[in-house]
Amino acid sequence: MSKEYDREFETKFQETTRLGLEVVKESEEDRLMTLSVGPQHPGSGHFRFTIKVDGDYIVYCDPDPGYVHRGEEKMSEYRNFIQNIPHLERPVIHDSTNITYSYSLAVEELLGIEVPRRGQFIRAIASELNRQVYTLYWLAIYGIFLGHSTMFMWPAGDRELFIDLLTALSGARVTHAYNIPGGVRNDAPNGFKEKCLQYVKYFEKRLVEYEDIFYNNPLFRQRTENVGILTKEDAINLGVTGSVLRASGIPYDIRKVEPYDVYDEIDFKVQYMKTCDSFARAYVPFLDMRESCNIIKQLLDKMPDSGEVRLKLQSNPKGQPGESYKRVESGRGALGYYIVSDGSPKPYRVKISVGSFRNILALPHLLIGSKLGDMPSIYWALNYWPVEADR
Amino acid sequence: MLKELVNPSNFNLLVSKVSDVLVRALDQPLGYAINWGRVWSLWPVHLETACCSVEFGATSSPRYDCERFGIIEAFGSLRQCDLIVVQGTVTRKMAPRLRMVYDQMGDPKYVIAMGACSITGGLYIDSYNVLPGIDGVVPVDVYVPGCPPRPETLIQGCMLLQEKIKRSKIK
Repeated sequence: MSKEYDREFETKFQETTRLGLEVVKESEEDRLMTLSVGPQHPGSGHFRFTIKVDGDYIVYCDPDPGYVHRGEEKMSEYRNFIQNIPHLERPVIHDSTNITYSYSLAVEELLGIEVPRRGQFIRAIASELNRQVYTLYWLAIYGIFLGHSTMFMWPAGDRELFIDLLTALSGARVTHAYNIPGGVRNDAPNGFKEKCLQYVKYFEKRLVEYEDIFYNNPLFRQRTENVGILTKEDAINLGVTGSVLRASGIPYDIRKVEPYDVYDEIDFKVQYMKTCDSFARAYVPFLDMRESCNIIKQLLDKMPDSGEVRLKLQSNPKGQPGESYKRVESGRGALGYYIVSDGSPKPYRVKISVGSFRNILALPHLLIGSKLGDMPSIYWALNYWPVEADR
Repeated sequence: MLKELVNPSNFNLLVSKVSDVLVRALDQPLGYAINWGRVWSLWPVHLETACCSVEFGATSSPRYDCERFGIIEAFGSLRQCDLIVVQGTVTRKMAPRLRMVYDQMGDPKYVIAMGACSITGGLYIDSYNVLPGIDGVVPVDVYVPGCPPRPETLIQGCMLLQEKIKRSKIK
C-alpha cells in the first residue's frame, strides 16, 4: 500500500513543483485511521476488532475476543459429569446437541460404557437437526449483514420447523441437554419419524429457492466472489477447520475421517469447493445443509423401531483415572473435548477445543490488504460464533 | 408579586412560572400523547452480551414477529435508540461497555434484563468472570426470566414495559 502511495505522491510532487507550488508529505500517523468495530455494532456480535485503514484499504487488524468469557472450563471442575451438561451447552445455544455430543463421547470413553444402538441413532438425528438449526441462523445473520432482508426472514422462519422437531424430542426450544453420557435423555415420541421426513422433504424444496434468491443473486456474487482468498497452504498453516477449511479445497470432515457412533454406516459425500473465496465459505454450509437432509433420511430409514435409548448409570458415575479426547463435526468444524479424570466423580480438567476460535485466527490474514467494504462478507463467512470462542 | 415578575430583569423567573402553569395544565393531555408516541416506537440497541441473543433474533423472525407490538428489530443507530435488551450474561469485560452504551443513549431510555444471567447471574453464579446481575450497572425496568426466555416471554416483557411507559409521568 505504501509503495502505491509513494508512487502517487511522486507524480503529484513533480506536477506541483512544475507549477511552482509547495507540497507537504503526510506522515504515516496522519494518513491511517483507526476504527473500532464492535461490540455495539449491527453484526459483529459479542466481538470487537480494531482495524486501521489507509484510504479504503485495511492495513492492520487486531481481533479482541473475550467479551463472553465465562470460565466454562474452570466451572466444569467443581461439578460432576452429569451436572456439567447444562452449562457446557450454553456457549453454542443454537447448536447445543453437537457441543454436548463430543462431551458425552469423551465421558463415555472414560467410564468405559457403550450406548444402545437406538440411542446412537437418535443422537445422530438430533445432532443433524441441530446442525440445520445452527446453519440457518448463521445464514439469516449473513443475509442481514449484507443487507438482504429476505434472507433473514426465510431461514429464521424455516429454522422454527427444526426447532419444533427438537422440541418434540427433548422438550426445550434451544437448550436441549438431550445428549447425556450413556445415551439420550428420553425416547423419540410416537410419529416422530413421519413428521421428521415430512419436514425434511419440505426443507429440500426450500433449499432450491434459497439458491435462487441468495446465492445466484448478482449483488451477493459481486460482494463475495474473489474476496478474501484463503489458499490451501494458508488454510492448513493457520489451522482453520470446518466449512472454512472445506471451502479452501480440502475435503476434511470429522464424520468421514474419524467416524463416531453410526456415521460409518451412512453413505454421504464431503462437500468442498476449490475457489477459496468468501463465496465458497458462504456456499459450503449451504451444501452441508443439503447433505445433512440426505443423512437424516438415511438415519431415519436405518433406525431400529424399538429398544433401549439410554444406559442406566449409577447416580454419581466415576471412571478409572485417565484421560480422553473425542471430537465431532459441529456446525463450525471440529469440536473436541479433552477430559482428565483422577477417579473422582468430578473431572480433574476439561479443555474445550472449538472450531470458532480456530477460524477467527484467519481474520487478520484475510482482512489485511482487502477493502473496508468487504469486511462484513469476510468476517461472517468465517463461520464464527463469538460466545463459543470465548467459552 | 406581579410587578416583580413583569420587571425585565426577572424574565427567566417569569418564564419558569408560566411554564410551570402550562405544564400543569397540559400534563394530562400532552403526557398521554407523548407516552403514546414512546410506547409504539421502541427501538432496541444492537448490543449482544451473551447467548440469549439467539432468542432475541428469533423474536423478530416471521413466527414471532415482534414488530406487531411496536418493537423494531435491532438495526438503528445508538443515538436513535431508547431501549436496551440486555441479552444474558454480563462479564467483567462487557460491563463497562454496557454502561458506556447506556450513557450514550438519549433520554428517555429503558432497560429490559433478559435471561436468568442478567437478573442474578443464573447458571454462571459461581464463575469468576460473571457479574451477579446487572442491577449495579444499569437501572432495570423489566425483568424477563428464563434460560433463555422463549420469544413469547420476551414479547410479554416488552408489553409490560409498554404498560409501564403508558402510566409514567413525562419529564
